[in-house]
Amino acid sequence: MKHFSVSSFFLVLLATSPPGLHAQNGLRDIPDTSFEAQLEAFALPSGAEINLFAHEPAVKNPVHMNWDQKGRLWVVSSPLYPHIQPGEEDNDRIIILEDTDSDGVADKHTVFADDLHIPTAILPGDGGCYVANSIEVLFLKDTDGDDIADERSVVLSGFGTEDTHHLVHTFRWGPEGMLWMNQSIYIHTHLETPYGIRRLLGGGMWHYRPETRRAEVFMKGLINPWGHAFDQWGQSFMTDGAGGEGINFVFPRAVFRTSPGASRVLSGLNPGQPKHCGLEVLSGGHIPDEWSGVLAAPDFRGNRINLFRLTDNASAYTSSQIEDLVSSKHRAFRPIDIKMGPDGAIYIADWYNPIIQHGEVDFRDPRRDKEHGRIWRITFPDRPLDVAPEIDVASDEELVDLLLNSEQGWNRELATVELRERDPAAMLPLLASAKAKEIDPELFALRQVWGSQALNSPDLERAAKLVSAENHKVRAGALRALYYSAESNDAALGLAQSAIADPNPQVRLWAVSVLAQRPEKNTVDIALQALEGIEVDNFLDFAIWSICREHADRWVSRTEGGNPFQNLRQLLFAVRALNQPVAVPLITEALRSGEFTSPDEIANVSDWIAKVGSPQALGTVFDSALQEDTGVKAQAILLDALASAGRLRKIQPQGDTTRLSQFLQSDDPTVFASAAALAGQWKLDSARGGLERAFLAAPENPNRARSALDGLVVLGGPKTAELLGKVARDEKADFLTRSLAVIGRTRMNPNEGAKLAVAVLSAAPYGKDPYGIFDAFLANKKGPGALTAALSEGSLPKEIALTGMNKASSAATRPEALVKALQKAGNLKPMKMALTPEEMESMMAKVAEEGDPHRGEEIYRRASLQCVVCHAIGGAGGVIGPDMVSIGASAPVDYLIDSLLQPSVKIKEGYHTTLVTLKNGDSFAGAIAREDANEIVIRDAAGTENRIPKSEVVSNNISPVSLMPPGLTASLREDEFVDLVRFLSELGKDGDFKTPPNRFVRQWQTLMPHERTRDAIGHQGPVIFTEAIDSYVWMPIYSEVGGGVPTGETPDVVGRGSNRYAVLRTFVDAPDKGPLRMKLTGKLKDLTLFHGENKVALPETGDEIEILIPIDTPGRQKLTLVGLKKWGLDRVSLELLDDAGKSQLVELKDF
Amino acid sequence: MRFLFLFSIGLFTGLVSSPIQAESRPPILRPNDRVVLLGNTLIERARLYGQLEAALSLAAGESVTGLTFRNLGWSADSVFGDSRSYFGTPQEGRERLSKNLSELKPTVAMLSYGTGEAMSVDQGWTNEKGAAAASAAGLEQSLALFEASYQKLIDRVRESSGDSLREVVLITPPPLENLGAPLPDQTENNRRIARFRDTIRTLAEKNGLHCADLFGALGGDAFTGEVTKTPLTDNGVHFTSEGYSVLARALAKELGMNETILATADPAAKAKLREAIVEKNRLFFHRWRPANETYLFLFRKHEQGQNAKEIPMFDPLIAEQEKVIAEARARVLSGTTKN
Repeated sequence: MKHFSVSSFFLVLLATSPPGLHAQNGLRDIPDTSFEAQLEAFALPSGAEINLFAHEPAVKNPVHMNWDQKGRLWVVSSPLYPHIQPGEEDNDRIIILEDTDSDGVADKHTVFADDLHIPTAILPGDGGCYVANSIEVLFLKDTDGDDIADERSVVLSGFGTEDTHHLVHTFRWGPEGMLWMNQSIYIHTHLETPYGIRRLLGGGMWHYRPETRRAEVFMKGLINPWGHAFDQWGQSFMTDGAGGEGINFVFPRAVFRTSPGASRVLSGLNPGQPKHCGLEVLSGGHIPDEWSGVLAAPDFRGNRINLFRLTDNASAYTSSQIEDLVSSKHRAFRPIDIKMGPDGAIYIADWYNPIIQHGEVDFRDPRRDKEHGRIWRITFPDRPLDVAPEIDVASDEELVDLLLNSEQGWNRELATVELRERDPAAMLPLLASAKAKEIDPELFALRQVWGSQALNSPDLERAAKLVSAENHKVRAGALRALYYSAESNDAALGLAQSAIADPNPQVRLWAVSVLAQRPEKNTVDIALQALEGIEVDNFLDFAIWSICREHADRWVSRTEGGNPFQNLRQLLFAVRALNQPVAVPLITEALRSGEFTSPDEIANVSDWIAKVGSPQALGTVFDSALQEDTGVKAQAILLDALASAGRLRKIQPQGDTTRLSQFLQSDDPTVFASAAALAGQWKLDSARGGLERAFLAAPENPNRARSALDGLVVLGGPKTAELLGKVARDEKADFLTRSLAVIGRTRMNPNEGAKLAVAVLSAAPYGKDPYGIFDAFLANKKGPGALTAALSEGSLPKEIALTGMNKASSAATRPEALVKALQKAGNLKPMKMALTPEEMESMMAKVAEEGDPHRGEEIYRRASLQCVVCHAIGGAGGVIGPDMVSIGASAPVDYLIDSLLQPSVKIKEGYHTTLVTLKNGDSFAGAIAREDANEIVIRDAAGTENRIPKSEVVSNNISPVSLMPPGLTASLREDEFVDLVRFLSELGKDGDFKTPPNRFVRQWQTLMPHERTRDAIGHQGPVIFTEAIDSYVWMPIYSEVGGGVPTGETPDVVGRGSNRYAVLRTFVDAPDKGPLRMKLTGKLKDLTLFHGENKVALPETGDEIEILIPIDTPGRQKLTLVGLKKWGLDRVSLELLDDAGKSQLVELKDF
Repeated sequence: MRFLFLFSIGLFTGLVSSPIQAESRPPILRPNDRVVLLGNTLIERARLYGQLEAALSLAAGESVTGLTFRNLGWSADSVFGDSRSYFGTPQEGRERLSKNLSELKPTVAMLSYGTGEAMSVDQGWTNEKGAAAASAAGLEQSLALFEASYQKLIDRVRESSGDSLREVVLITPPPLENLGAPLPDQTENNRRIARFRDTIRTLAEKNGLHCADLFGALGGDAFTGEVTKTPLTDNGVHFTSEGYSVLARALAKELGMNETILATADPAAKAKLREAIVEKNRLFFHRWRPANETYLFLFRKHEQGQNAKEIPMFDPLIAEQEKVIAEARARVLSGTTKN
């Protein structure tokens, strides 16, 4: 077998080939462009049919579409994307499509405009249409009836163009008659409005009222939020074309991932979902009944459209994925917009392109398709089509009836557009006096309010009445309606106050949002009352947190006279939100007098004091830790707070610090770690002896030794230096202790560390650096230079030099001299960084012809490759790199190969490494997890969050180097590499490697072998695995794409005789009593399942069973699955079937 | 009555200064001048209509040939360079401006700032570190901040443009219009702009620069809050094409140029000229402010930077278009002479 090995493949000396050449690769993979080929490739639910509504040349590369009141479909198309070439005109188009004979196929098209520059949104209304034209929003109008624009004005200008797939987009009319629009991560927008300057840096959503010309930011963040829809209650949901958390619930001031400077972000409702472009709420009588209200979101990478069903969950929602609306095996099917049409059918804009974007694929890649484009139409032949009303010629009364009583979302949307073009004096009385038909009268009244808003004459009285409606959705909707003009509506404060203690958290969320618009002094006092009487979920918590900060000047000064709020909990919430030293005496006194009792509250108090407290306040924390009745958990929390304060802010508690010594005796690893760190920070030389002993006992307790080393290094001085030098030079000492000694010495002084390092590295077993000697050098500004110098005088074994080179070449600091020095010291040839075009051709052919994706998945999951540590597939796996869920359907094969070999060449947006260097020379590389005024939190390649004080930062740059080390695949044989690429290339395509929508448990923990199990299992049986034994070590393990866990990959937990067990556990949040429905697969006779400590009855035979788990105590449920391996058990899976309920799989990080 | 007081001061200063300096100076535009227009939304949108350039070019007179104009306007820009900053701080925006100027080497720079700042004195108009809070702390603090940073901007323009720079012109914001409900009443903002105008005039005097007072010239001092009957703007702030025509003529007059030619020029010939200018502006926009900056020049250029080679390929196209403009301009002027 030919080895795809270091010597034969990767270490060949070769010049890098120009990237342009790669662009030709795979041209032969261009899918068949015929309609028939696409039609054959579709898979649809039973009863559904798809037909071609419109196509090229009338429509090329459609980007966005919306209907008008005449039942015509307006489409913008952009062959210019991704970038205009010198000599090209701004010639992108708006096309109006018409189906004049109602046969479901457009038979007329008109070019409304043909002079646009990458238009990314189109919205008919106000007698013309609004179109996004790169930096501007334009209003185009036809004044002479030929359906060709002859008037053009700029509505808004100053939208950023830093990336043409992030331009302002996703126009939609809201039920209140405003134009809503989105922008994405790289866009920086600067608008001059009649109300002053408005800036939005990064992603977010705007609303704009044409009559008043007012544009305001609604929410911020998300990576590429190319989808927004309103549910029938007027709430907003968004999708993210680069995010991967499915449906996002958004509200005013909500902030999501990647918003610049965000110190707190919210998450989407479906973590681990594919990326979506577009969003529509399904409604009407033509679609299957069970889909009414379902959200449809195109997964343009995976060539399919996903469906999600929402249910209430506290102040937000649970979103459950159901079956797909459509999926295709055709790689150029790119559904990027979806709209319900006037006949009740579902229309899909198919951008049609084998290549989806231009960040990672060349602007001029010849595979880009600029000729094709399709609009598809899905119908259900057994069900009658909806009757399309003639909205443009409807009488005023008919129009009002449609607006208020129609069950079809699109009819109400278009009736709103038509309403805006009619005379308010005639329409307002009709709206006010209309009668509800077969509809919830409260929802009807809410629609009346929206109608009045659409005419810019909001019926505030009716809205005010609805704040006390029976239906909580209407109460929330009424507050949202009031939100837009709350600033100038003095009644709004009282209404918000009356709703703040509403039994429903969704209503409270909107009450807080209304308060945030008001100028009164007591807005925060009222908002904090939303904390009372219910369990506050993350969304409501965020809204209250946000107003505490935004309105800080209204309450901070009042804390000087005592707690201005109703209770201590509210005060603690407010001061923690602000993250400043406000009301410190009040809080510390409460801590001292024991008014905070729960561990969570104590943790919150001490974390906050660590961040903001004075030495005096820290003294109170220290006193609390020392009190006799303080438990170990509380001790750990309090000491950790002190250690953070010392590390981040260089301050220590007032008072006698030698009292720390008692904690250095603690057996609790967390308490000891904090105490060791504090001994160093506080320069307690009396602690040195104990720390030295713990350090030298490294082989028995490595973690304790590391903690002790941290203390010794910070304590510093000649004594530490001498000890570490002695240990490092001691050839008889074990490799762990020697490694730690080098690491410690390097942290004190890189040059001295380097002198010790070469000898220790030379002794590294198997050429591995398991304790991170290289990392210690790479984490210090002077480290690489020091090691380079030390290496110039010595040599290293080849294997350890290769290990070092891999680490150095993926370091954000790009230490090229060190890479060269390691090459020389290890006598290595340079790592091959790129394939020649010929090699790439042949590799791609092998992937296509010989690659086995099933074997590839096994290789992908190998521990040595570490893929799973950083990358998830459909949420199963690490979060450091991008989710691979649909990489195969979106990325060309040459891109995958390049990315494996040279990770830094293409880096996904949102995954760039930030390199932060501190005054003391330390550097941290990773993604910015969050930041605020005082600190920046960097998540590094190991997933660790490093909190860095901003005051210590000297530079903060985006690094051009990927966190993914090159050479991870260097150990593979060529056939294995080919299989791995084949597996990746299948991800997301129809077939075995498209993540199914089933709610499989994808995140598990597996038990590591433990000495007690052999005996204990004999006495008690497998129930021992459910016990809370402190010394059990649980490691993460993720399911395969298909949902199962291969039991061969779990460690063998030893039982009696030859019995070996796979032990897996997971958690499910079940908020309600009653049975939890799940499905278990695997050889049932070898499986035992526990719910908590109770055995769930399973049949003796069979491979799959539906089980009902009784929930008597709602909340977090532990499920432990034990499999006896010896009779051929190979794979198990567990699936939550309770998709209509609120039960949620718990993410690994929360286990 | 603090507002009235402030207003009367504005009015007073408005009366004592006037475009007298134009009389005593040589012509503002000379043959082969490279004119850079720099400012906020007012300048940025002028590129779409061509009125401003056409007017300045024609009013310069037949003998002043070889004029080129480059529009560096950026919506909602501030004197700190906020809008030019992309992913960075306003400082990066200013550095970018310096780079633009050092490449363009203007002989004349016309600057227009103040509208957005004046309208945002209670909300903030810059993200500049150490200045953001003051920019939201009311009129007086905003004025002080504006004056200091405008001075630095003028210094930067002089420094970055190099020795060829001959004239710097400060154009004051034009007045806002009241268009009636539901659009907002701009009376208060006009009072603020009057104060900004005074500051700009002081800066011009201090630096020995031309000041074109569009605020005064377009009736800002006489504004009493009435709803405009013949609006020049479509939202009270932003000029229509016709609005720009009036504004351009007022600017030419303020600069002591022969603005009467604008009234007599053949409209069809002038429309051709504007059309040629607008096309040049389209090409230049793709040249100086291309889309996809992230990939072409910023932190993802290691991925797609190879495409940046296309951007200078707009230069010869722009040069060709300048010839079309020169021909169209000559036709307007010859027609005018015949009349």
